[in-house]
Amino acid sequence: MSDLPTLSITEASKKLAAKEISAVELAEACVAESQKKNPTLNAYLEVFDDVRAQAEAADLRRAGAEAAEVHPLLGIPLAIKDNILIAGKKVSAASKMLEHYVATYDATAITKLKTAGAVFVGRTNMDEFALGGSTENSAFGVTKNPHDESRVAGGTSGGSAAAVAANLALGALGSDTGGSVRNPASFCGVVGLKPTYGAVSRSGLIAAVSSFDQIGPLTKTVADAELLFNAIKGKDVLDSTSIESTKSEIRNPKRKIGVPQSLLEGVQPEVLAQFEASLKKLESQGYVIDRSIEFPSAKAALAAYYIINFAEVSTNLSRFDGVRYGLSRKGESLWEDYAKSRAEGFGLETRRRIMLGTYVLSAGYYDAYYGKATEARKRLRAEFVEALQKVDSIATPTMPTPAWKIGEKSDPLSAYLADIFTVSANLTGNPAISVPMGTVSEGGSTLPVGIQLTAAHGDEAALFTLGRVLE
Amino acid sequence: MISKEEVRALAELARLQLQEGEVESFQKDISTILDYVGQVSTQGPTSTQDSSRSDLKPLHNVMREDVPNTPLGKRDELLAAFPKREGDYNVVRKIIQKDE
Repeated sequence: MSDLPTLSITEASKKLAAKEISAVELAEACVAESQKKNPTLNAYLEVFDDVRAQAEAADLRRAGAEAAEVHPLLGIPLAIKDNILIAGKKVSAASKMLEHYVATYDATAITKLKTAGAVFVGRTNMDEFALGGSTENSAFGVTKNPHDESRVAGGTSGGSAAAVAANLALGALGSDTGGSVRNPASFCGVVGLKPTYGAVSRSGLIAAVSSFDQIGPLTKTVADAELLFNAIKGKDVLDSTSIESTKSEIRNPKRKIGVPQSLLEGVQPEVLAQFEASLKKLESQGYVIDRSIEFPSAKAALAAYYIINFAEVSTNLSRFDGVRYGLSRKGESLWEDYAKSRAEGFGLETRRRIMLGTYVLSAGYYDAYYGKATEARKRLRAEFVEALQKVDSIATPTMPTPAWKIGEKSDPLSAYLADIFTVSANLTGNPAISVPMGTVSEGGSTLPVGIQLTAAHGDEAALFTLGRVLE
Repeated sequence: MISKEEVRALAELARLQLQEGEVESFQKDISTILDYVGQVSTQGPTSTQDSSRSDLKPLHNVMREDVPNTPLGKRDELLAAFPKREGDYNVVRKIIQKDE
């Protein structure tokens, strides 16, 4: 086996620049690795048939360019989540509804990566329409965890995380609605960043929860995450919620980390031990740990998150009606045409959330659910803004446990409860990163776990600085 | 616990055909989940008017001018996605009928 796929993006980029390796060699090594491992892992739903051609184009571009003009991502093989549009490629959101759908344009993040010269290896598995937390809700089978194939890779960007962890690509794009980049990053032992809401354009990202969704990188190192983030960020005329990256010029580092101690009760002891070891590491670098930080609204956060999730999912997915594109089934009436197409096209969890969203938005219940949830969201955001004036970052474990066994969480509510630490950043719009913090032993397996750091809006720089201390 | 009728009404509104046994399973799951998320009603103050709005930047119109922008697909590619196509037309069910 070639060891090229084990390189980080930063290392490979140097070797490409020094002409020690070619983009074709690198891409073919990733494809070879995928052919070997993907039949078991199911990280990719499709490995593209033009990977070599893309890599040849990258090599040609390098040969014709001055070294200074070359983007560090030129010729770097990346995996792309199956809800991010690449013109001319299938994009299914891991749903039967869009199984044969071909994207007609590039997502803005893809346009930027194409300009940089990245090579797309394939599209990765996910929970259908990004609804879940384990990639078990994919219409095309679960993605297995490279560290223990009887366990989930996390989700919803499980395929992207597994692809990076198993060296099927050097880095990947995922999307994060309630932890969908950070959760699989924690379970697979890679770095995952959810940028500030609006930092990366959502144009060309299949919408799950529009007010939460952000595209983010999954990588082997913090430096790689920073590199990918910088390549895809920026205001975009095609997404009115996108913003110019504000960098961190407004803040001066306080070298203080906040830990919301009262929220850590449900964390598995072995995970907590790794978390404390990470905090010690930060202390040894001169950071002060402030355990007095409190979020009174955090108790309501998970409930508020799911209400808003259901509401926006039911609204966003109403566009799938079998009329203009996607799965189409005929019944006895127009209503039946819709209802049959949607019943066959959507999986169980997706239909459950559409029903729940319809319920919480219905006239009689709107105030009690959606109204209260948006109030809780505002309060939590205010609490985060206030806390992050005192500390550089808030630290928690990313997930309360390591990866669970496939099929273990068959009750939907128990799966929702695992998102306790990740949903806050989506409710508040703050950037958050998951960085590996060692491993724990469970059932004879050694499983990675991650630490989550959350920073002030626009302050991804703080996450990269702290992340480097921890890795 | 929500009723079976409520489950059927939700499915009707959501344009979802229920399959065998799904009324019961949705009734159970949706009730459990609503019980959990319903706790949002019992927590925190009833109103947050302005307490947290200092972080809001001045509001401005985010709509762009109504002029053609980057095309999000070529005509042929968009037509190719039609489930049933006749020439350049998307064949759909006849929905307007003469009053009888």
